[in-house]
Amino acid sequence: MEAFFQTYGFLLVYMCLQALLGLSTYLPLMAGQLSLASSGFYAIGGYVAAILSTQVFHTSGAYPIGYLLLETLLAGLLSGVVAVVVGIPALRLRGIYLALATIAMVEILRVVSLNLSITGGAVGIFGIAQPFSSPLGYMWLVGPLLLLVMFFAYRLEGSRIGRAFIALREDELAADAMGINPTYHKVLAFALGAMLAGVVGAISAHFLNTWNARQGTFDVSIAVLAYVLIGGSRSFAGPVLGGMVLTALPEVLRPLKDLRFIVDGLLLMLAAIYLPQGLANPNWLARRKTAPVREKT
Amino acid sequence: MSLLEVSHMSRRFGGLVAVNDVSLSVQEGEIFGLIGPNGAGKTTLFNLITGLTSPSSGNLHYQGQDITRLPPFRIAALGLARTFQNIRLFGNLSALENIRIAHHIHTKTGVWAGVLGLPAARAEQVGVERQAWALLERVGLQGRAFERAKNLSYGDQRRLEIARALALRPKVLLLDEPAAGMNSAEKATLSGFIRQVRGEFGLTIILIEHHVPLVMGLCDRIAVLNFGQMIALGSPQKVANDPAVIEAYLGVET
Amino acid sequence: MDLLLQSLVNGLSIGSVYAIFALGYTLVFSILGIINFAHGAVFTLGAYFTYFLIGGQNNGTGLLAGAQLPFGLPFPVAIILGGALAGLVSVGLERVAFRPLRARGADPLLALVSSLGAGLVIVNLVQYLIGAEILSYPTNVYGHWAEQHPSLNLGTASFPIQIRTVQVIIFGVSLVILLALLYLINRTKMGKAMQAVAENPTTASLLGVSTDRVILFTFLLSGLLAGISGTLVATSFSISGPYFGLAYGLKGLAVIVLGGLGDIGGAVLGGFVLGLAEALVPGEYTAYKDAVAFLLLFLILMLRPQGLLGRRLIQKV
Repeated sequence: MEAFFQTYGFLLVYMCLQALLGLSTYLPLMAGQLSLASSGFYAIGGYVAAILSTQVFHTSGAYPIGYLLLETLLAGLLSGVVAVVVGIPALRLRGIYLALATIAMVEILRVVSLNLSITGGAVGIFGIAQPFSSPLGYMWLVGPLLLLVMFFAYRLEGSRIGRAFIALREDELAADAMGINPTYHKVLAFALGAMLAGVVGAISAHFLNTWNARQGTFDVSIAVLAYVLIGGSRSFAGPVLGGMVLTALPEVLRPLKDLRFIVDGLLLMLAAIYLPQGLANPNWLARRKTAPVREKT
Repeated sequence: MSLLEVSHMSRRFGGLVAVNDVSLSVQEGEIFGLIGPNGAGKTTLFNLITGLTSPSSGNLHYQGQDITRLPPFRIAALGLARTFQNIRLFGNLSALENIRIAHHIHTKTGVWAGVLGLPAARAEQVGVERQAWALLERVGLQGRAFERAKNLSYGDQRRLEIARALALRPKVLLLDEPAAGMNSAEKATLSGFIRQVRGEFGLTIILIEHHVPLVMGLCDRIAVLNFGQMIALGSPQKVANDPAVIEAYLGVET
Repeated sequence: MDLLLQSLVNGLSIGSVYAIFALGYTLVFSILGIINFAHGAVFTLGAYFTYFLIGGQNNGTGLLAGAQLPFGLPFPVAIILGGALAGLVSVGLERVAFRPLRARGADPLLALVSSLGAGLVIVNLVQYLIGAEILSYPTNVYGHWAEQHPSLNLGTASFPIQIRTVQVIIFGVSLVILLALLYLINRTKMGKAMQAVAENPTTASLLGVSTDRVILFTFLLSGLLAGISGTLVATSFSISGPYFGLAYGLKGLAVIVLGGLGDIGGAVLGGFVLGLAEALVPGEYTAYKDAVAFLLLFLILMLRPQGLLGRRLIQKV
């Protein structure tokens, strides 16, 4: 057992982080907004942590958890603010147009981070301090966070705001006519996803020990979107499952050596074609969700 | 004073004038019919009133307040709720969920209160649940509460859409062709139902309808639109005998 | 001033390549309403195909390290053949990644993922077989004269406008392709069938247009354009490896939105606008040149999402 965690500790933590990124794309999608911006906010969060821990907070020995939590808080806040500023104009767009606008945002952020000195240019920032002595140590942070966010998403689905999100996803115009403010709720969903991505970025920067412009690219956006679509986009379980499976896949395929990325792409394609509902079939979830205790007057 | 005042409203789409300088006022408590041939601009007028389409010119006042440029969700919150000609339920969601969603403006639970299930949020949830079931029962759909809206029969979808609008607790209910696709027995039932809900909920009702006997029997006043213009306005008898209306419907040369 | 003119000519040259590449994107979008995210990978493949068809040797360390065809075709033949092969790959992609989804009437988003998956397969297959190394075209692909005169003076002796010969040739080739394409779309039976399907597939099929054939042809054409533009870019710079087409794939998105998604004239206009805008980035900001496309993309989406030439869409209630 110990050997297992020794070997797969890194992968397990990474699977949880990617599942969280999947959830960060799922939140706006819950309100019908196809955003590919998660990787951009993930990059912002990572830079916040990388810059603060290497240039602002000077420590020796194991990096204090308190600082790490402070970083994640700031990363989440900054991502949220950027999301509101970008989201208010961008979320007037629908469908593929919004997706393209968010791709543009991610790419602009990438080029800027490649060129600024504070982000370390093309080399990036390395030697980010470690709060834990082994990769598995991060599980104490990432595991509970994943459970919390899953609980959050689950409860949100049945709450007033979550219903407004879902109404917008189903039919924005009808939701508008039912008194739901589309802009407010879309920006809210977008900002919630952005904050989560920022937090994940901050933790990932420490976990990966280094941060650079390659962390927030179009490829990452697409990988995260694949988590949601392959996992299932109609319940919170989808992106979690998709994020974990797709992150583990290259590892599972490791015996295939150089062929594994080809098989990886092939599986992505086949999953899109043959698992249109995603791995997490929403039907059994839907049944359970719509059967609450009946209140009788 | 009239409840809803449409003054000189027009809407152009490119070269087409869908609504052309229409003025009318709706009195509190009345059932106001809007009729006219296909493409006369009835639905566009509905969209103008509910804010889904912005007017090219003209004004709209509700209870003395200028609501011309308000977005749909604000107009809905002021007490104008509607149904759609081509039914716009949240098709993948259950009938019950459709009605729960429509309680949005009368509840105020935020993200965190809802997620954490704070007492106030739970109390609100219980209230929504009770009212949603009451509305489903009112339209006779309590047995189909967990059915996906898109799987309901056409008539049930129409009734669910009315129930969803009623969940907004509106003062004005706008019904866009509520009897479309119904047989004559269903139409008679619907007619009675509309009258009843007006009394029960203290509503003012504006409705678009093609079926002339239904409109004649149900409405207090009727406006007739043709090619975007209002060609007649008045009691059913008056409108029925108006030569301009007869011409518009029958195409008789005068 | 001469520097500005030089930049403009360069901008037109790269812009014309953007235009033919983006046309492939926009043709598929106009017919199917989906964006083919494997388009960048087909662009890459085209450059590799042509490289090997002219007898180039694989300097890469992939499975086929050192491999070389036993013959070398003249470049004009090779680029057309390379484009045609890319077109066939594109048709294959349509079969495996798009058709099954279309047959089921699936969410267009899934086509996005399946085409990305297909693109990944291509890119990694290239990496596996060829390797990740840079491949450079020989300097004499455009003939002996062009090799002897690597740059031309389009101005006068006292007012020189120096420009790389290869850029001028690329511009010329692209223009010929653009004109041929516009002729094909507007004057031939197949072009008109494509327009009909783009306008309304149901009506088109009622009028006897074979939608399936039009779709196949569109993908063939789209792949051909991608393959040829990939080769043209590679002759100007080099093939930077299997991910060569990725940046172009993304910029191509900016180009088609700039002109108006699905609009053929718009893709051409968008290509030139992007080419010129990039060329006009001042020297001290060249590091930010790659952001220009995305800045333009973001701005156009904010200000005029239907694109420069697109018509405003009226939503039906």
